[in-house]
Parts: sequence; structure tokens; C-alpha cells
Amino acid sequence: MRQFGKILKFELSGYLKNKIFVGITAFLVIAIAVCMFIPNITSLFKSDDTTDENAELPVMLIYAENDELSSLIKEYFDEAFTDYSIIIKDGTIEDLKKQITNGNAECAFAMNSASSYTYYVNNLSMYDTNTAIADTVLQDVYRVTAMVGTGMTPEQASEIMSIQIGSETITLGKDQMQNFFYTYIMIFALYMVILLYGQMVATNVATEKSSRAMEVLITSAKPTSMMFGKVLASCIAGLVQLVAIFGTALVFYHVNRSAWGDNMIIESIFNIPVELFVYMLVFFVLGFLIYAFLYGAIGSTASKLEDINTSVMPITFLFIIAFFVVIFSMTRGDVDNALIKVCSYIPFTSPMAMFTRISMSTVAWYEIVVSIAILVGSTIGVGFIAAKIYRVGVLLYGTTPKIGSIIKAVVRNQ
Amino acid sequence: MILELKTIDKSFGEKEVLKGISFSAESGKAFGLLGRNGAGKTTTIRILMNVFPANSGEVLVDGRPINYEKTGFGYLPEERGLYPKKVIINQLVYFAELKGMRHKAAVNAVDYWLDRLGMSEYRNKRLDTLSKGNQQKIQLITALAHDPHIVILDEPFSGLDPVNAMLLKDVVKEQISKGKIVLFSSHQMNYIEEFCDSIAIINAGKVALRGDLHEIKRNYVRDRLVVNTIKPAPIQADFGAACTINDDGSLMIKLNDPAEKQAVMKRLVDNYDIDELKVFEPSLNDIFVEYAGEQV
Repeated sequence: MRQFGKILKFELSGYLKNKIFVGITAFLVIAIAVCMFIPNITSLFKSDDTTDENAELPVMLIYAENDELSSLIKEYFDEAFTDYSIIIKDGTIEDLKKQITNGNAECAFAMNSASSYTYYVNNLSMYDTNTAIADTVLQDVYRVTAMVGTGMTPEQASEIMSIQIGSETITLGKDQMQNFFYTYIMIFALYMVILLYGQMVATNVATEKSSRAMEVLITSAKPTSMMFGKVLASCIAGLVQLVAIFGTALVFYHVNRSAWGDNMIIESIFNIPVELFVYMLVFFVLGFLIYAFLYGAIGSTASKLEDINTSVMPITFLFIIAFFVVIFSMTRGDVDNALIKVCSYIPFTSPMAMFTRISMSTVAWYEIVVSIAILVGSTIGVGFIAAKIYRVGVLLYGTTPKIGSIIKAVVRNQ
Repeated sequence: MILELKTIDKSFGEKEVLKGISFSAESGKAFGLLGRNGAGKTTTIRILMNVFPANSGEVLVDGRPINYEKTGFGYLPEERGLYPKKVIINQLVYFAELKGMRHKAAVNAVDYWLDRLGMSEYRNKRLDTLSKGNQQKIQLITALAHDPHIVILDEPFSGLDPVNAMLLKDVVKEQISKGKIVLFSSHQMNYIEEFCDSIAIINAGKVALRGDLHEIKRNYVRDRLVVNTIKPAPIQADFGAACTINDDGSLMIKLNDPAEKQAVMKRLVDNYDIDELKVFEPSLNDIFVEYAGEQV
């Protein structure tokens, strides 16, 4: 146990004294601090913009055979396209096209009839939603005209068309929208940290092996102490980094609170319920550990540092699958599908899957307990297996051994 | 303290690496573990240090199974290397602490050894700023700082200049006089001959020869005579095929039977102009080549 403590301390100081580690953390802390000042910074620039607000809006042309129709459409379009100046265009279609190609107008709606039009635009942007808006508006226009035709006054018709439905939502379970953001952040943080630190653990072990420091280490310390010390040290280093980054974000959020106003996303991120935060921490640490053990074991089998990238691929692959299952379910808003439910019990996917379910859906307490119990058990199990692989792996030099021969050696306890 | 290895067997997969290795070493004496490359020396040392278990056989200290918590090992591996990017004092203290020393005691011990080996000026430098020989001296400290009962030195002299080799010799002699078991593994036979009281030659996973070095030499069949003369021709003519010329120009006469030694010597002295005449005593090198060289 004392040996484990020594290793943990040594490895941790290795991280915290590493100039690159410190540099990256400092950079991220500064970057996030600057991000938290963004509303203040943008408001500084905003005041200058207001002067040319009405300066020059792009021109949108309306063309219709029927004057009555064109003025009615203009009336509705003025309301719908506030960032365009709407102009009724007489003349021919050819003139209309010319206006657009020479840049006098940006786009034009030429009405073929009350229910059909041609949209002219010079370059069609990927994000052009004008036709979609126009479709809705023109439907309204068509309906209002039809209603007026049956003898209704235009006011009555407009009133019917603009009826507002009052509603109120009471969430009895979880509000997916509100919880979406910290789930997303947690999943991404876990993803980033595991990939980065996993690689670091693997490299760390492989470096000791290639520098032959291993020869002395393996005769001085127990493989389990080595493995657990290294992995826990990297976990603590990762948490320190995250705490530094998110802590800075929190502090500077409070400094700039008034400027952020009631930005719902930011608000929801910083007002994460304590209970959920605890789950986040539990799943984060366990998820980190189980993968870090695997990375450590893989690192011990690599003879050269260059081999690591290929050796760790299966783990990275497994991890990315887990990531995509969760992200896919999350973005579809369906976190209760069979796949994610199964994944929330499998040790390697459960940290992400179960956390997502807890935060975005309603999960019974015993499901959480079972999932965490399986995860804790397998993390410890994987830790001990990793230590065994480590002991066998670190003494194998030369070509990277096959998985089969490592398993054989571990089983034979050589 | 007597360290004993009894019929150690070890195989990796299908490959039998050690086949019944047995030898014993006692405190206050140096023991030489010899063998050609790949004979199984490192595997023997690793089993001895509990890096992995043997398939069968046992390691005993004073007749009882070894207790690794109580018996301290110091090991200088043949494959040298520590943390190249870390400060020397930090890693040396770390290794000493891993062996169970308290922090303060570890710092004191490491400082003592840095001073003893003339390395104090490098205390706060990174390891990779040192020359290879100096790195080796630093590594030696990891084997000695925690004052182990058993010191295992694998090729300790390789890469050292004569001055450093002298320094290391003194250190080794001091360790022996302190009553430690010093286990040597080396191909440099002159060092083994200088330090070791007993040896074991391992060949293809078996002990080919073991015992007290002087006894081994004494028991070596005394059936050859070395003759120094300025007129070798008549002797060669007299003894024919039994007489060969050594590299140094002396003559080697092989006897048909060790018992006729006295008679042959008398005959030589009576009939020829002899400068020097003695019974051939093999060097460790000769013994090694004979025992480790055959059967391969």
C-alpha cells in the first residue's frame, strides 16, 4: 500500500511538472476565461453597429400579373421578411432576371398564379430558407383570399389565420432540452479525456519499457501497485485539469453574470443539479479508469513507442462505438431505445450510456445501482487483469506479441 | 545467510528455459553466475527476485522458503536504463522508496552513494545529460542505496573506464566484507576470478559446473605440462603429437596418464634445456569454454 502511494505520488508529480501538461492546462484555462467574457466583448462592438441598421437591406422583388395580389403579398412579405426591402416589380420577367443578375436585387418571387410561383436568385445559398417562408406566407394569403371570397371581411379572415394557441408544459420526468447540454459536455469531456489520457498512460508504460527503467521497476514494485498507481495518477491529473478549466469557467461566469443575461444554455450548464453532478463524477471516474487500465496493459505489450498507435486501435475503436451509440440516441432525443439500455449495463459503454439515461430520461434507482455495481466490479477486475498483462508484457521485447500469446501467458501465470 | 536455489524449472510456452537449476551462495562471499548468451542467467535471476514464479523448484534462505518482504534485493540489470528525462536525485529517491525506505533515509542514502561514486555534482541534473558510464554509476546506486541483503550485478563492469572499474571493485569488495551475498553475472572472466569464491556455469538451462572456484581448478585433471624453453625443437621431436605450441611460444605436453607426471618432468629436466616447467592450471576462461562451449 505504501508502495502504491509512492508510485501514485511519483507519477502524479510527473504529470503536474510536465511543461506540456501545465502549458495546455494554462492555455485552456485562459481560453475558457476569455470565452466567459464574450457577451461583454460583443456588446462593446454592438453599439457601433446600430447606426447603419436601416442603411441598405437587400432587395426582394415581387412580380404578379394581378396588382391586387401583388400588393396583398407585399403586405404579408413585409412582415415575414424583415431583413429584405420588398419591392413590387412591373415589366417583364426578363427585366426581373436582369435586375438580379446585375445585382440590383437579390431575389424575386414571380407569381404564376395564386398558388404557384417561380423563385429567382443569383446564387442559391445552402441556407436559403426564403422559399420555405414564402410557402407558408403564400398559403396564408391564399386562405385569406379564399375566405374573403366566401363573404368574410378581411379582418375576420386575418384573425382566424393568426389565432394563437396558449399552452403550458409541466415536466414530470426529465427535461431533455435542459439536460441535453451538460450531458453533451460530460460525454464530450469523457471522450476527450479518455482518448488523451489513455494514450498518455500507454505511452508512459511503453516509455519505461523502451528506456529499460522497467528492468529495475519490475524488480522493485508489484505490478498491481504499478498499474493502479499509474492509472489513478493519470485520473487525478485529468480531474485536476477539468476542475481547473470548469472552475475557471464557473468563476468567470459569475463575474460576467449580468452580461450573459438569461442565456438558457449557459444557465442550464451551470445550474446542474447536485445529484446529477455526483453521478457525472462517478461515471466519469469509473469510465476513465476502466479505459486507462486497458490502455496501460496495451502500452506494456508494445516494444517500441511507434507501435502504440496501432496497438491501442481496438480500444479506441470500442470506445468510439460507445460514444456514437450515445450521441446518436441523444441527438434523436430517444435515450430509452433498446441499444442504449443494453449499453448502459455493459462496463465499457455504461459510463456514457447510463449517465445519458439518468440525465435525459427516468431511470429506476435499482437500474443505476446495478449498472454502477457492474462497472465498479469490472473496473477492478480489468485493473487486476491489466496488471497481469503488464507483468507479462513488460518483459517481452522484440515484436509486439499476439493477443493470444499474451492471454496464454497470463493464464499460465508466467 | 545462505541463499539456495533448488531444482528450478521454467518454461515459456513450449520452450524449456531452465531445467533443474540448483546452486547456493552464502553471505560475505561473491558468487559468479556464468553462461553463454541465452543460457538462462537472466531468467534465473528473475525467478530469484520473484519477477515471475518457477514452474517447479524453490528458493530458500537459510533452509526456509524466501520471504520477499524481509529479504532485500539490489539489482543492476544488464539492460541498463532509468528515466532519461527525470532529475537524478528524484528518481534515485523514488527507487529507494519503492524498496521500502522512508523518504528522509532514502535521500540520505542516495546522497551518500552519489558522493561515494563521485557523482554529487550531477545530483540535480537530468539523467540523459550524463555520459553512458556515468549513467551506469547512477544505476548502480539503485542497486545499493537501500542496503539490500543480496546484491545482483549483471555485467557490472561493461562500459566502465579503468578508473571507474577500480572504484566499482572497491565498492564490490566493501559489499562482500559487509557480509552481503554478491551475485555476479559476467562474461569478463578476469573479474569473476578476482572476486568470486564459487561459481555456477549454466549451459542450455542446466548447471554444467558448480562449486568453489579454487577447488574446481585444483580438481581439474592435471594431465598437462607447460614447458618454457629456448630450444623447443628436440622436445617436440621427442614427444611428437603429444607436444603442441601455445600462443605465447611455450610448449604444452599432454600426458597419457596424470600418474606419469613426475617421471615425465624428471625426463624433461634431465635431458633438455628447460627455463620453466609446471603443471598446467586452467584459467576460468578455459573452464568456461570447455563447459559452456560443448553440447551446443
